[in-house]
Amino acid sequence: MNAPAPGREAREARGPLRRKGIGPSPSGWLDPRGRALGSWAFAVNRVTGLGLVFYLYLHLGVLSLLLVGESAWNDFLELATTTVFLLLDVLLLFGLLYHGLNGIRVALVGSGVVPNRQRALFWAGTVIGTLALAYGALHILGGT
Amino acid sequence: MTASGPRTPEHHVLIVGGGGTGGALAHDLTLRGVHVTLVERGELTSGTTGRHHGLLHSGARYAVHDQESAVECIEENAILRRICPGSFEENDGLFVGVTDEDMDYLEGFLKGCAECGIPTQVLKPDEALRLEPNLNPDLKVAVRVPDGTMDAMRMPLRFFATAKHGGADIRPYTEVTDLIVHDRTVSGAVVRDHVTGTEGEVRADVTVNATGPWSERIARMAGVDVPIQPSPGVLLALRGRLCNMVVNRLHKSGDGDIIVPQRALSVVGTSSWTVDDPDDLDVPEDHVQRMYDEGAKLIPAVRRAEFRAAWSAARPLIGSREGAPTGRELSRTFKTYDHRETDGVEGFVTITGGKGTTLRGMAELCANVICAKLGVEAESRTRDVVLLPHTAYYAA
Amino acid sequence: MVTAAETDAPTPPAGGELRRFRVFRFKRGDAAPRFDEFDVPVGPKTTLLDALRWIQLRRDGTLALRHSCLHASCGTCGVQANGREVLMCVTFVHDLGHEITVEPLANIPVLTDLVVDMREFYARFPDVHPFLRESEFLPEADTPDAIERYARYEDCIECGLCVSACPIVATSDRYVGPAALAAAQRLAEEPRGVDVEDVLDWADAEDGVWRCHAAFECTEACPSNVNPAARIMALRGVLVGGRLRLPGLRREPA
Repeated sequence: MNAPAPGREAREARGPLRRKGIGPSPSGWLDPRGRALGSWAFAVNRVTGLGLVFYLYLHLGVLSLLLVGESAWNDFLELATTTVFLLLDVLLLFGLLYHGLNGIRVALVGSGVVPNRQRALFWAGTVIGTLALAYGALHILGGT
Repeated sequence: MTASGPRTPEHHVLIVGGGGTGGALAHDLTLRGVHVTLVERGELTSGTTGRHHGLLHSGARYAVHDQESAVECIEENAILRRICPGSFEENDGLFVGVTDEDMDYLEGFLKGCAECGIPTQVLKPDEALRLEPNLNPDLKVAVRVPDGTMDAMRMPLRFFATAKHGGADIRPYTEVTDLIVHDRTVSGAVVRDHVTGTEGEVRADVTVNATGPWSERIARMAGVDVPIQPSPGVLLALRGRLCNMVVNRLHKSGDGDIIVPQRALSVVGTSSWTVDDPDDLDVPEDHVQRMYDEGAKLIPAVRRAEFRAAWSAARPLIGSREGAPTGRELSRTFKTYDHRETDGVEGFVTITGGKGTTLRGMAELCANVICAKLGVEAESRTRDVVLLPHTAYYAA
Repeated sequence: MVTAAETDAPTPPAGGELRRFRVFRFKRGDAAPRFDEFDVPVGPKTTLLDALRWIQLRRDGTLALRHSCLHASCGTCGVQANGREVLMCVTFVHDLGHEITVEPLANIPVLTDLVVDMREFYARFPDVHPFLRESEFLPEADTPDAIERYARYEDCIECGLCVSACPIVATSDRYVGPAALAAAQRLAEEPRGVDVEDVLDWADAEDGVWRCHAAFECTEACPSNVNPAARIMALRGVLVGGRLRLPGLRREPA
């Protein structure tokens, strides 16, 4: 007599989850669609962070050429003064400035010192960073 | 068969309609030990209940012309504060007189409130402005009454939560497509489960039609008629909390004569017209404009406030279509129809009418009728049982 | 709905047009979700909810929708429209572009079609759920006799848009999420009889405040000015020994 309304078990079970992201679940943070400033800052921070770690290993690898000998090092120096390489240096500078300045922003916001000023800090950092990058790029590409 | 908790599993009641009335009824019956299944085609309170402005009624609006409703309201107002603590913005309300006609209404208003047991306090304009600085500075008088604000969805949800934890089977997204009727007896309903997309049946000893303005649609499935007139009104939500107390116009019921604060919004309401189909409501622009115009007479800042939303909700008013073109003429009270008595159809009861504030009282009355039909002797305990918080509805 | 004829061709209202909606569909037992397409007549004041209810009423009565108050107070009608979290009842179709894809909120299990199962949302909250608070509006006003302070409901309408928008919730099922942390901060800010130390202990967890990466998507998505991200940071401020920033946690000007 008291047959329950249909579908009881189906409702108890956990349903499928929609996730944002361009691939499997952990990529959720990387999906740019519909995101605001804070997410972009966060995503670029992660990318530059990874880039800087990669650069660190690269740098160590390069330095190890010193162990190989003078000619290996000189070959490297020739490569290091080509335009492409210098442009990559500028890119590296961008990564350092971005990651560093955004890191300060995250530290200030994230420790509750200035909890409600994340956008203002981002633009302040952009101004400082752009000036520093311009100055640095001029020197790197222009030669001192 | 007397029960204050233990189940009487041989009695099963199917409630059709998950608005405030359905929820309160599920709670009342569950407390009496009756097994309840409640089906609602959409989200709980997605019909009329969720859409109202959220007034916890003092009844003062009806103290002159509909005293039956006024008394129901003030009694339930006190009960709800007791059984749903922490669920209301309990800031009281004001009835504000702005014109000479309003002043003519004052004496009858005070007398009516006194007759209905609604406490009042007359305030001079400067006193009122100290309480509510945004009021029309030209107001002539204000009368304080025990209005309040409710969250139109979450307050009823406490009834559902308590019923569910008491063992009721609450089923949103389950739509009644037909009633099961044989030999003038309703023995349940055919339902479509919108979660799985499948159909099934729910059998019950008594099926209750608690669908508000949709009452007639369900009643027809049983071959009966109920005199329900869907009567929509427009509401307007503005950003900003322009008042902390509910602000009403001191006059006989009219358009745009109430402003209910709700969180950080101000809701101005309402208007009234009649329709046949409560699913197909427009939001007439001229009604929205009237909300601005009339609301501004109470609180001038309404004019400049930022728009948030404008919508319509259909009241289920009791009374037939002829002679009630706007719906304001119909009574706001509530009724239970035992269709065995009214139509010779067994196993079917309709509860309808009423206001958001009277949900518990409506349910008590209806549950009494149902329990009498079932031979369950337990009495209602809903006046005293404190409800679970609304979040309990979502707990395991 | 057991409804009107499904054969009437949609005619746009005066000043209106037809717009295409791609609507997420899923019933339990389906192998996979799909998108159904509908052309809906819309006018300048048509909300996303109006359009979807039109579909439900006139095209497909099996479409499950969640809504209640129709004015951004109950928080039940949250969806993703073209990838952005919105409340359907206060989102005008005109602001959404020519083809509109409507999906349920992310990160919360789907119950059916556009309806999510909010149990997991509520499960993340601290034990005490702040609901009524002091009203900070019209601070110069007096209160009537026997009423000490004006009360109002908390801003949070439990809509889940923040949880859907959060990139960390997208990658971690254990993170309590912005709504729960904002609620905790409100309790720390205005205790209402709750033991603040308990609340702070609850928040001071790996999957509590420390999991947030300051994307601020939650604050962007919130339709009710809760500003959860700033509240999470304020909680952190207390936990690292600073003061709790009190009033003035309204949204940063854009």
